[in-house]
Amino acid sequence: MSGRLGNGDAVEAALDALRRGGIRTGDVYLRDSTAGRVEVKDGAIEAVTTSGERGIGVRIVEDARPGFAYTSDLTTGGIAACVEAARAMARVTEADPDLRIATEAPGTADLAIHEDGLADRPLPSRAEVAFAVERAARAHDERITGFRNTTYSDAEATTIIATTAGARGTYRETSFRASTAAVATQDGERQIGWHTEGGRRFDAISPDAVGRRAAELAVRKLGARPLETQRMAVLLDPWMGQQLLAAIAPLFSAENVLKGRSLFAGKTGQHVASDGVTIVDDPRLPGGMRSAPFDGEGIATRRRVLVDRGVLAGYLHSLKTASKTGTRPTGNARRGSYSGPAQIAPANLHVAVGADEPSDLARRVDRALAVTTLLNLHTIDPISGEFSLGAAGDVLERGERAYPVQGITIAGNLTHLLASIAGMGSDLTFGPSGIGSPTLLISELSIGGTSR
Amino acid sequence: MRTALSRGGEWAELFWERHHVLTLRLDDRRIEDAISGTEQGAGIRVVSGERTTYANGNVSDTDDVLAIAGRAAAWVAGEGATAASPQAARPDQLSRPSAVRIDPRSVPIERKVALLRHVDEVARATDPRITQVTASYAESVQDVLVANSEGLHRTDVRVRLGLQVLCVATEGEVLGSGFEALRGTEGFELFGEDAVDTLARAAARRAALNVAAEPAPAGTFTVVLSSEAGGTLIHESVGHGLEADLNLKGLSVYSGRIGEKVASELITVLDDGTVPSKRGTAAMDDEGQQTRRTVLIERGILRTYLSDRKHAAKLGIERSGNARRESFRHLPICRMTNTMIAPGTSDPAEIVRSVKDGIFVKKMGGGQVDVVSGNFAFEISECYRIRDGTVAEPLRGATLVGQGPKLMSEIDMVGRDLGWSTGTCGKDDQAAPVADAQPTIRIPSVVVGGTVA
Repeated sequence: MSGRLGNGDAVEAALDALRRGGIRTGDVYLRDSTAGRVEVKDGAIEAVTTSGERGIGVRIVEDARPGFAYTSDLTTGGIAACVEAARAMARVTEADPDLRIATEAPGTADLAIHEDGLADRPLPSRAEVAFAVERAARAHDERITGFRNTTYSDAEATTIIATTAGARGTYRETSFRASTAAVATQDGERQIGWHTEGGRRFDAISPDAVGRRAAELAVRKLGARPLETQRMAVLLDPWMGQQLLAAIAPLFSAENVLKGRSLFAGKTGQHVASDGVTIVDDPRLPGGMRSAPFDGEGIATRRRVLVDRGVLAGYLHSLKTASKTGTRPTGNARRGSYSGPAQIAPANLHVAVGADEPSDLARRVDRALAVTTLLNLHTIDPISGEFSLGAAGDVLERGERAYPVQGITIAGNLTHLLASIAGMGSDLTFGPSGIGSPTLLISELSIGGTSR
Repeated sequence: MRTALSRGGEWAELFWERHHVLTLRLDDRRIEDAISGTEQGAGIRVVSGERTTYANGNVSDTDDVLAIAGRAAAWVAGEGATAASPQAARPDQLSRPSAVRIDPRSVPIERKVALLRHVDEVARATDPRITQVTASYAESVQDVLVANSEGLHRTDVRVRLGLQVLCVATEGEVLGSGFEALRGTEGFELFGEDAVDTLARAAARRAALNVAAEPAPAGTFTVVLSSEAGGTLIHESVGHGLEADLNLKGLSVYSGRIGEKVASELITVLDDGTVPSKRGTAAMDDEGQQTRRTVLIERGILRTYLSDRKHAAKLGIERSGNARRESFRHLPICRMTNTMIAPGTSDPAEIVRSVKDGIFVKKMGGGQVDVVSGNFAFEISECYRIRDGTVAEPLRGATLVGQGPKLMSEIDMVGRDLGWSTGTCGKDDQAAPVADAQPTIRIPSVVVGGTVA
């Protein structure tokens, strides 16, 4: 059968279908990716997965009304049906005069996000990464008795975007990842420690670091006990800081700001964090996990300071929100796949590096809770800023680890939390989702635990 | 199957799906998004000794499927295993537990838009403090075929619909939110007028209540969970720990404990993928195994785990039909469908009256569990103080944390009622539609995380 089209031809076929349908404003996004994953257990391969994903998403604007459709059927007929479906969607949506498409080519940039030769890498070389993670975890501590799962995965993708206004861009990228969940056992008690790292090159991931940190997290939780309800300083290491920053990222979305769904609405030029805190989004970070030359609307990306020494400097924009606010688009309309329209999101969002030795930060307060697990981060309310999270960690006394605790909550308000960042470490670290943070010292938070 | 087993392997399986999706979203009185999509794909699995290989991709025709089978076989090569010969397909059809009276694809899109506008109007009319309403309609029709080298050849169609609404109430500088969803595995008849009005009012009422609520305290309290609160508790605190994959690895707090007492004798826990119309319901799981009702914990005694083909065989337990996958892109994993604590004998009102000072939870939000330690946390989206056996002032911003088996052994009252809720469960980066249910229960002592220390 077939009539199946190559990537470039599929995009052309979609632009053709738009033209033939008399649709003057629209864009076509194609993604073609292959991914591999090896799961190992105790030195043996348990599962090997190879995935292919290929499809297009078509967005149209007709009489100022948006419509979106996607398909994995890249035949001329399948693409025409997709364009027709997008048009049917545009019949029921509301007109919005600020909808735009890209009109100029976004250009290219060498961001060091692609490595050649992935397809030729043999299975044993891939599996060895996961084996090395297991070995590193076991070598770190003899109380490591097993793993929930240890995996190596990689992916290579081609992205093309083209608009009816003639803008067109394409880029290729690769990504590599290793992760494990190590289990520590002692006197019948079991604790788990999970860690993952990612990179754009095969050699950028360190199996040793992944195994060691997972093991360390699991072992540290052994013997954890309850903690009394109290207020206390909190220390977040870079990985915990990343989780917190990921949770507050939606506050910077201009879409959320315009709709009153961000506590940062109307706060530009005002203090939203303590003086030393600078937050940057850098989609051009060489080798960054979310680095890309342009966004899901075909707009060139650029580095931006969002919080400058505590003061809110700007928001993340799409073409639409930029038009609504009379500003330049920032290249933050991101797309994860062809099956969804662009959503405003940061690229490599990070808290700028601080000046303090992480160990000095811990010693700065008499007692602190060094958090190792945060549960329920997805429940933080972006409007009120209220949060109440499940947590586990270590109680530190004058910087020294006194004892581990679990079954506690950390609650408060983001406004208060950001204003209470009392120190930042010199250890800025980026995680596998492109988010980066140094160690953060929070002067005081409410801890929920035993007794009243 | 022949191609998949061409280079060795004892067992092979094809999972094929065609997935139709329609999403409409109303925000700030406007239909902002309308998304339509179709995707077709297949995944082929070959088991050879202890190793599983899985290849998947989008497909448009038989050639594509064969190419995927070839890719799956390529990874088997070199293992030296002898190949099994596939048996002839024996197509059969399972009866579907959910009737679909009105196929949503036959309903004009204008009616779906009207549904969202109606939700918006009803929510705004419920309370003058409602300042924002976001409502979305989600339609998903998944056609599935599962065939394996043992001759199994089955199809299923899962029609799943959802209508969800988020309201924001404003009073001065304070904002409060309320969420409610109506979701099920059934046709457009799910959206009867009464059900839709009830949904919109519930979300609006909750937002208005939260805007006026006092911040919750932090500390240890006696907690009564209303049956209306939904089953997040059972899902997070027990359900995940009963999944067979974790238990085979000896990683769950319930590992190796079949036949042992793991909960109060008031507690019976079931998973039932056959309950008509519920969100986790299907005729078969994603390995083609018929779904069923499984008693996991019976009066406090652990009976079995939630299993798929591989883990049932390895653990020597009966297959429970709980192999589920998000799509053709994923290997199936052991997970819940519709999970519940069975009703007990106490009068729900009596349970509240029995508490001198405590917290009454009327609605739970999302949750998360660390299955190895059993520690869980879940959000509370509506709760009240109980004073002298009476439900008193509303509280906001609370989270419950605890350890699953400990909590389950401490529950000391179980009501004779049963309330359902729906959710989307995440495990190993795969999402699955689920439903949970529980009666009203009393927990004598549990940590509540609020902001007032």
